[in-house]
Amino acid sequence: MTAYETVIGLEVHVELATKSKIFCSCTNGSDAEPNTHVCPACCGMPGMLPVANRQVINLGMTAGMMLNCHINRTTTFDKKSYYYPDLPASYQTTQWFAPIAVNGYVTIQTEDGPKDIRVKQIHMEEDAGKLVHDNWSYTTLVDFNRTSVPLIEIVSQPDLRSADEVVAYLERLRSLLRFAKVSGARMEKGTMRADVNLSVRPAGSDVLGVRTEMKNMASIAAIRRAIEYETARHIDAIENGIEELVQETRGWDDDAGKSFAMRNKETAGDYRYFPDPNIMPVVIDDEWYDRIRESLPELPEVKLERYVAQVGLSDYDAGILAQSRAFCDCFEGAMAVGAAPKEAANWIITNCTGILNKRGLTSEDLPVPGKALGQLIGLVNDGKVSSANGKRLLETLFDLDSRGEDIPEDMVAFAEAEGLVNSSDTGALEAVVAAVIAADPETAQAYRDGREKALNPLFGACMKQLKGKCDTQVLRSLLIAELSK
Amino acid sequence: MDRDALLGLESLNQLALTPEEQDEMLAFFAAREADWESLAQVDTANVERMVHVRPMVNVLREDVPSQPFSREDLLAQAPESMDGYWQVPRVLQ
Repeated sequence: MTAYETVIGLEVHVELATKSKIFCSCTNGSDAEPNTHVCPACCGMPGMLPVANRQVINLGMTAGMMLNCHINRTTTFDKKSYYYPDLPASYQTTQWFAPIAVNGYVTIQTEDGPKDIRVKQIHMEEDAGKLVHDNWSYTTLVDFNRTSVPLIEIVSQPDLRSADEVVAYLERLRSLLRFAKVSGARMEKGTMRADVNLSVRPAGSDVLGVRTEMKNMASIAAIRRAIEYETARHIDAIENGIEELVQETRGWDDDAGKSFAMRNKETAGDYRYFPDPNIMPVVIDDEWYDRIRESLPELPEVKLERYVAQVGLSDYDAGILAQSRAFCDCFEGAMAVGAAPKEAANWIITNCTGILNKRGLTSEDLPVPGKALGQLIGLVNDGKVSSANGKRLLETLFDLDSRGEDIPEDMVAFAEAEGLVNSSDTGALEAVVAAVIAADPETAQAYRDGREKALNPLFGACMKQLKGKCDTQVLRSLLIAELSK
Repeated sequence: MDRDALLGLESLNQLALTPEEQDEMLAFFAAREADWESLAQVDTANVERMVHVRPMVNVLREDVPSQPFSREDLLAQAPESMDGYWQVPRVLQ
């Protein structure tokens, strides 16, 4: 029986985290009402002049450096012709002759140890619009909000050999891009999409088989299934010859678990690339290059090591924090205002994660600034806010964020405004304690007779009356003192 | 440019030329190819690739969003629109 080898290369499109589009100032936000983030430039009106967004170049360079690429110091934009209603100018502005970054690599972990996946190039380009085909038999509707949203396309060499390697590559890519704040890289939101180029050949052969491309894959689980299916289909075609393999673009139907032919793949010549005369070349001088190089973040694995070796976290805690740039930022911000590392880690891993899970959010969605968390931890430790109310305040921060409101700078003032600061009025506490004991003399007597557990219902009754707003240590002392009289 | 290449271009551009128009286009391309061949006589061995016809670089804008056009203004330019969308002939069968 012949052994086969699957050869896979990926083209990964990633939406850049800019405020505006790549060639016009329309807002980069494609979730809005249709055609509300559009202008003559991104609608391809004749005579409009595109002007490139500096931040797109910054993020393109950042991505290139994160993936160990050579940065082309002169980079240019080109027109790629294709005719489809989601592309109003009838061409896509992209990079063909001098892309921003070339010749890099991404290191993944495999069963056989680390493996470098070569990155052929990263180019910057504009996204296309969205077509709506449903509901109407005679027409297609077009939304241009997504047109000209900035993307980078990361093109790997065909170095991947299995679904496991592809998943490891995508996860590593996602982590690096999120840490560098190049993109949210959310497959479920369509801000990261992969085209999978796959062929199969007898193991040991250096001749590539017939290649098919599955476009716009937007889930890692679906990519795994599609690779497994497509590999089996290729091997079956090679061995049984019933189906002829042709170079083509295929779609993936995840519900049916099958790929299907879409169209014959164009060759590069069909796209008739030519330099865009409207967009001037971008020349990156040493000052610009160095500024971006210096802004690169600490890599996740370096953070993990530092959190264990220097900060003193356990491998487990450090591992969880280092999976998410948002977690790391929150953790480091909390420490910067004096929170103890272990305590800050616990609040993020236990309390914040609990709220994120409850709301169906991911770790990258954590809206709590480190400073706010650090202050909150301080309030609880100082006895100014009870532990339960501290958690309530934390949840309130999530509520503010979900309503699009700012997280307050000063958590002390915020806790006061929310009415969750413990009463420092000892007299008021003493009055509540006296009233609770008077209302339940039997339990009070039981405590005095040596049943220590009888303190708990009395304590609970006091907390109920105080609505949780008290320093529990102080209350406990007052209660014991009163019962001991 | 032969007839097959022309048919390929026709398909990419979603055109349907008559045989007479195809002949006209083939004659046009043949004449242009002859023009281009004359360029091959120029020695370009030591000439650096021209990146752009204009001597300008780094014409960039800052990442500041603005929304100067309303949907109504834009859709007024559309041949047809519906529910805030541009409307085109159905592209999926």
